[in-house]
Parts: sequence; structure tokens; C-alpha cells
Amino acid sequence: MSGTLILLAIGLLLIGLLGLLLRRSDFASSPDASPLVSDAAAPSAYQAFEERRGELLDRIFGPDDWEFVLNHAPKRVQRLFLQERKEIAFYWLSQIRSLAKIAIRIHIAHARKSDELRPVLELRLAIDYFMIRIKCAIVAAILWLGGPVALRRMIKQVGGLSDELRGMLELASKGDALPGETRVPR
Amino acid sequence: MMEPSAGLSPSLVEDALRDLRDRTLAKLDGDLARLVYLASTRDYNTGRYAHDGLSFRFSESVAETVLAAAHREAFAGVALSPLRVLVSHLEHYIRSGWAHPDELVGAWNSSEAYRILPPAADDPLTVRLFISNVKIALAIVEAAWQEPQALQDPRSASQLPSPGR
Repeated sequence: MSGTLILLAIGLLLIGLLGLLLRRSDFASSPDASPLVSDAAAPSAYQAFEERRGELLDRIFGPDDWEFVLNHAPKRVQRLFLQERKEIAFYWLSQIRSLAKIAIRIHIAHARKSDELRPVLELRLAIDYFMIRIKCAIVAAILWLGGPVALRRMIKQVGGLSDELRGMLELASKGDALPGETRVPR
Repeated sequence: MMEPSAGLSPSLVEDALRDLRDRTLAKLDGDLARLVYLASTRDYNTGRYAHDGLSFRFSESVAETVLAAAHREAFAGVALSPLRVLVSHLEHYIRSGWAHPDELVGAWNSSEAYRILPPAADDPLTVRLFISNVKIALAIVEAAWQEPQALQDPRSASQLPSPGR
């Protein structure tokens, strides 16, 4: 009986922790935290991201920069590096989550007005959306517990999150489900 | 490869870009110096680029298109470069252009002047990475200067590799 209670408490604690992580990274994506690019500029910014996605994620999560800092910088700078990379990684996660949320909201708004609902497409989109949310939460937990260095061996999986988001956006934009400017550039 | 703006002749834009590279950018020492220069050709109130020489030889709109494209290109090159390359570029930029390098490092650290270097409407993640990397590179360069004993250490920042390596 007490074992069940302990497991329940651990489960609740983990859920609370994930909730906290989601709130933290949602804060990171607030307009105040990103004053450099306006909402109007978002489509071209997304296009710029798509063009250099692999290179960018490799630079953020790859081992090269950390190894350089480890070998050429004092401990103070090493701590600064880890803190900075952690913030960037949380910001990237919040971007993925925000884009997925925006896409699903627009899709739902459009689907409500549509006469022809396609249950299979809706189901696939819902599954994709929740998978992205769950994976974001897992990556955030790893990041929070182990720091950005812990993600070095997961570059493929981390990059996969971006691919999944693109797949979801493409699926959502099928059949004019999304306005033109939010469609994924090809 | 840049995409010319609507209404502008692609060959004219290519000519202007070549002109900018050959006459102006080629004279600047290093990628960071080129980025600083290109960012400075933008009016921070309007976000528009201007260059008297290019406007005179071509037109204001061609000059603006070419400067914006060159700025985006220079920024992407610096922002996505490995940290060791950025540190070398920064050291080179500071040492080559300034009589008192510590003043520049101090000013960049306190006012974070490098925040105005990214082009507008670029990918926010790339912009964040760039700002973060410059901050770290400044800390590395500063640490190497502040700790003279580090010069004796084979693992010190004074042994930083050159960008080409």
C-alpha cells in the first residue's frame, strides 16, 4: 500500500516537474524574451531556419564547441557556455512547441468551419501533435537534469523533432487547411 | 546565391554585388569586420540599407538589395561558424583595428553592441546562437588577456587555432 503511494507521489512529482519545464520554456518564447524578430517577420525567419536547420542544430548540440571550450577556457567560461547553450536549447524547444500549437489551433479553427471533416487526417494530426509535445517534454527533462552536454549523443533524435514538426505542418496544410503564409516552404 | 528583388534586373544586382565585394568588402580584414561594416550600412531607425558609392553607380534600390543580401550572407557565415573560428576572428578583429583592445572588449561586454549585428527578420534561433557565441568568445578572449600565466599553459586561449585550421 505504502509502495503504491510512493509511486503515486513520484508520478505526481514528475508531472509537476514537466509542467514547470513547459512553463519555463513557454516564458522563454514570450515576446519580451525574443525582441529581435517581430511576428510579421516570422515566415521569412522560419524559412531562414529551414535553410540552415541541420547546420544550426549541429552547432548548438554538437560536441565541437564544448570540446573547444573545455580545452581552451577557464571554468568560469565553461559554466557560461553550458548556461548559454541550455538557454538556447530551451528556446529552440519552445519554438517547436509554439509552432506546433499555432498550427494545430489554426487547423482546428479551419476544421470547425469545414463541411468535410477527414477523421483519419484529424487523428494523425492529433497523434503527431501529442508526440511532439511528449518528446519536447522528454528533451526538456534531459536538458534540465543533465544540461546541454547530455544531449550530445541525441543529435539525431533532437533533429528528428524538427522533422516531425515539419511533417505535422505539411499534414496540417494539406487541402488548404492552413492559410498560405503559414505553409511550410518547399 | 542571392535572389534579386522584384523589378530589379538580376544581372544588375549581380554586378552590384560583385562591385561591393571587390571594392569594399575585400578591403576589410576578416569576416567579423565585414559583418560589422555591413550592419553599419543599415539605418537603425528605418532598417534600410544605404551606400553612396553603390547608389551612385547603380541605384538606391539596387544598393539596398545588395547590401541586405550581403549582410544576410555574412551573418550566416559568422553565426554558424565553430566557436574556435569565431574566437580567432574576434581576436583578429580586436587586435587589428584598435589601439586599445581592452576598451573595445569592455564596451562590447557592457553595452552588448554586437546585438545590432544580425540582420532584421533572420531566424531568431540563429540570432540567439550568434549573440551567445559572441558573448562566450569575448569571455574567452578576455580570460586569455587577464591571465598572463595562461600564456605558459599549452591549453590556454593564446594557443587558439587560426580560422583556417
